[in-house]
Amino acid sequence: MLFSYNWLQSFFQNKLPTPKKLAEILTLHSFEVEGIKKIGNDFIFDLDITPNRAADCFSHLGIARECVALTSVKLKAQNVRIEEDKKTNIKDFIQVTVKNKNNCPRYTGRVIRGVKVKESPKYIQERLLSCGLEPINNIVDAANYIMLEIGQPLHAFDLDKIDGSKIIVRRAKNNEKIDALDDKTYRLDESILVVADSKRPLAIAGIKGGKSSAISKETKNIFLESANFNPLLIRKTSKKLGLKTDASFRFEHGMDSNMTELAIDRLARLINELGGGKIVKNRVDIFSKKTLPKKIKLDLIQTEKLLGLKISKKEIIKIFKSLGFEVDSKLQVKIPTWRLDITEKQDLIEEIGRIYGYEKITSVFPKLVLMPAQKNEEIIWQERTKNILKASGFFELYNYSFISKKIGDYLDSNLVELENPFSEQLYYLRPNLLINLLDNVSYKEKHFQKKEKIKIFELGTVFRKEVGEIEEKKMLAGMIFGDEDGFYVLKGVIDGLLQGLGMSDIFYDNFQATPDNSQRILWNLNKSAEIKINGKEIGFIGELSSRILSKLGVKVPVIAFEIDFDKLVGFCSEEQEYVKISKFPSAVRDVSILLPFRVKVAEVLNEINIAGGELVQDVDIFDIYEGEGLTEGRKSVAFHIVFQSKNRTLEGGEIDELFRKIIKALEKNADWEVRKEKYA
Amino acid sequence: MDIQEIKNRAEREIKSVQNIEELKKISQKYLGKKGEITLVLRSLKDWSEQEKKKNGKIVNQFKKKLLNDIRELEKKFQQEMPKDDTKEWIDITLPGKKNLIGHLHPITQVKREVEDIFERLGFSVVEGPEIETEKYNFDALNIPKDHPARDAWDTFWLKKPEKEKDRLLLRTHTSPVQIRYMEKHNPPLRIVAPGRAFRYEATDASHEINFYQIEGLMVDKEVSVANFKAIIGRFLEMFFKKSVKIRLRPSYFPFTEPSFEIDMSCLVCGGKGCSVCSQRGWLEMGGAGMVHPEVFKSAKLNPKNWQGFAFGLGLDRLTMMKYKIDDVRLLYSGDLRFLKQF
Repeated sequence: MLFSYNWLQSFFQNKLPTPKKLAEILTLHSFEVEGIKKIGNDFIFDLDITPNRAADCFSHLGIARECVALTSVKLKAQNVRIEEDKKTNIKDFIQVTVKNKNNCPRYTGRVIRGVKVKESPKYIQERLLSCGLEPINNIVDAANYIMLEIGQPLHAFDLDKIDGSKIIVRRAKNNEKIDALDDKTYRLDESILVVADSKRPLAIAGIKGGKSSAISKETKNIFLESANFNPLLIRKTSKKLGLKTDASFRFEHGMDSNMTELAIDRLARLINELGGGKIVKNRVDIFSKKTLPKKIKLDLIQTEKLLGLKISKKEIIKIFKSLGFEVDSKLQVKIPTWRLDITEKQDLIEEIGRIYGYEKITSVFPKLVLMPAQKNEEIIWQERTKNILKASGFFELYNYSFISKKIGDYLDSNLVELENPFSEQLYYLRPNLLINLLDNVSYKEKHFQKKEKIKIFELGTVFRKEVGEIEEKKMLAGMIFGDEDGFYVLKGVIDGLLQGLGMSDIFYDNFQATPDNSQRILWNLNKSAEIKINGKEIGFIGELSSRILSKLGVKVPVIAFEIDFDKLVGFCSEEQEYVKISKFPSAVRDVSILLPFRVKVAEVLNEINIAGGELVQDVDIFDIYEGEGLTEGRKSVAFHIVFQSKNRTLEGGEIDELFRKIIKALEKNADWEVRKEKYA
Repeated sequence: MDIQEIKNRAEREIKSVQNIEELKKISQKYLGKKGEITLVLRSLKDWSEQEKKKNGKIVNQFKKKLLNDIRELEKKFQQEMPKDDTKEWIDITLPGKKNLIGHLHPITQVKREVEDIFERLGFSVVEGPEIETEKYNFDALNIPKDHPARDAWDTFWLKKPEKEKDRLLLRTHTSPVQIRYMEKHNPPLRIVAPGRAFRYEATDASHEINFYQIEGLMVDKEVSVANFKAIIGRFLEMFFKKSVKIRLRPSYFPFTEPSFEIDMSCLVCGGKGCSVCSQRGWLEMGGAGMVHPEVFKSAKLNPKNWQGFAFGLGLDRLTMMKYKIDDVRLLYSGDLRFLKQF
């Protein structure tokens, strides 16, 4: 909000500090000065007024009061003396009725007769312009000027256009309309408060005036309004109509109802100065519920404890007095009604802190009982996961938590929807991490050479609707593209990752049909697997489906994984036990076997392990071949079988016998053909 | 000539050979021009056909084996021998083989650093949900409905699913974690809560619709503004690894009283004013304050018994300051040319 330095100076006899110095003082003790602009011989301050201080500091008077508390200036008396036309009485010109007293706690009015509407003098125009308001005519400008000076929004009506000389503050009727001063027509309803005459609404209360009673060049007699409206009501109406004005902005923060009187008298006098006329005797003043100053007792010990500062009672009393608070020796404080923000002890402590100056509070480390920080297991596993993936050559990405409407609609119906989506591109909450990672891939394709092998991952939150409730899950997902051997590379990475997190029982199972259809659309089912730990599914690995790739414009095959991270953490373990290394020699036998294409290597391994028993210490695949020289639909797989005992040296004969037993077991499968035996 | 004797002797000798010199001698002795085996072979022509056939095969096979053994041993000895380094050369200016190590996102790295510092200062790291109820995000933090104070938090609201009781939103700050934690734990409390938050606002070089914050909370019998200054100052010094000045400016947050903004002396100019700090000499680091009594009440703690401070820092901002990144949107762009620098 904009404030004029010269205007502020006009509140005082003695001089303010220089603009630069004043800006520094205000920044450290009141509000941040975001900028100072020199206009003519004036300096315009852009102050960041906090919303709690709207009632007093959305005005020059409020900032002037801050200056009094912070510098040596003294405020001039604020009361106004106005000359009223003794022969007249306002009752003869206007009758005001307030129907909804809760919506309008105070309504103050004055009448001036015989004004001359014209341009405002230069100094008024300049100040309005400097503070961001357009000059219109002397009457309207005067109302705006006083609003900027005191903070009270004001409105002037053409008295002769008020039908029946009646002002009625009431709720609008449904479908009642008003042509407002912004050249727009607003359709009203019962939730909206209006200022009406006997026939129609003249203004949307506290927000905008209407055209029918607007001040024009021909206007001679005017009715001035200085009222107080319910902040909630103004806020709701302003939102409903999409209409935010200087008045509504002030009212929705709450204004001091004791301010209307001073404001209307200042306004009447200023109009009298600028446009002549005679001020009719008396004010209309409907003040249904008087606002009285609050009283709060300050607790000195609590003050010192909270600020961490030794401060004398004398100093505190001085601070309160500088702020215009009345205070007695028991530190009972009477809060002026313009300080709507002060409602409890802590608020008073804040006043002491900021006026005294936080910079004068010395840093002191807290004296506390020793309490070691607790380890957060989830974060530890999370960071370890990231480290392992980084070591495996993955880039970590942070993507938006949103996906586009287009892709969301294609995916499924359990998406979490926003009441106010940001854009078509950022429309739903992401149900998985894969979509946005894929988007990265399509983007990368454009920026990188095709041959480059790229690995990316993300650990983040995804959102889904499950039986009418929202489920938020932490997921880990990654993908490899540009690598022909991607699946096995990625499977190796996952093995390494899971082992690195302390898991041993890792198993890759066929993709199972689940009631949740959302996964099926993502994966190429023949080239994907479920990742299982201790028999429980924790995620998926495999090639992404061609439909989803083409939907996102990705032209290369992409191998991906996605793991439910919360499930994963459940299996992570720091526990480990040393397994004795056998002192006895091991022996290796190789076997090569011809298999039908769709027989899984795991089945062969299983046979070997069962037939070989505990003396088979390890089985390694060292060759897989398919193609030339083999019957179509067959593949050849070769294994090293390592035999070893924990407690003795195995004899050659024993090993050969065991090996023959294994071969026999393998040959029991009709389609399996053991090709050759090699003794190493 | 006893062929068997020569064969046995040669085999014995070759088994005990220790170095390349000895090996050369043996090779000379048996296979040289005047070597014993050479001589035997040369004398074959003098033998009878029958002997020729019988012994010739044996000798030739043995010669072959011996040659093979010598070659193998030669290789072995050569490998064991130090080579002459001076004859070798590589071009050290050729580029290194592509590094296979990946990259962690800069926010991850900064988040780790920040968490680590606070842990060393005695704060436990906790997390909270990204989808929040209106109650935790606003009401319990003393930000009433239909109050202009709420305008400071432009909110993404969720369409309400049938079974959810409360109005849901994407948390606009990490502050709800304060309430969630205080509800479940009794003071004294010292926590930090990092995480993603959301604001419905136009994006530009310094604003994103999702971003990272870290919330801090210390609650005890006596915790003061002076204590907060000490803790936050120490944190900033540890993070930026240099001594910094801090100042607190009055501010307003409904959930703290008093409230302040934390300013730190500009890292570049040290407070004199430069382009980085827009000539202010100070950099805004985040908001803070003393926990509001209403917030204690929301969490079912008696404000008469407890005091505390709370603060919120922008992790994106710390990241940008640390690496001199000038556009927050880069952090969420997925641009590998950006990410591979970290």
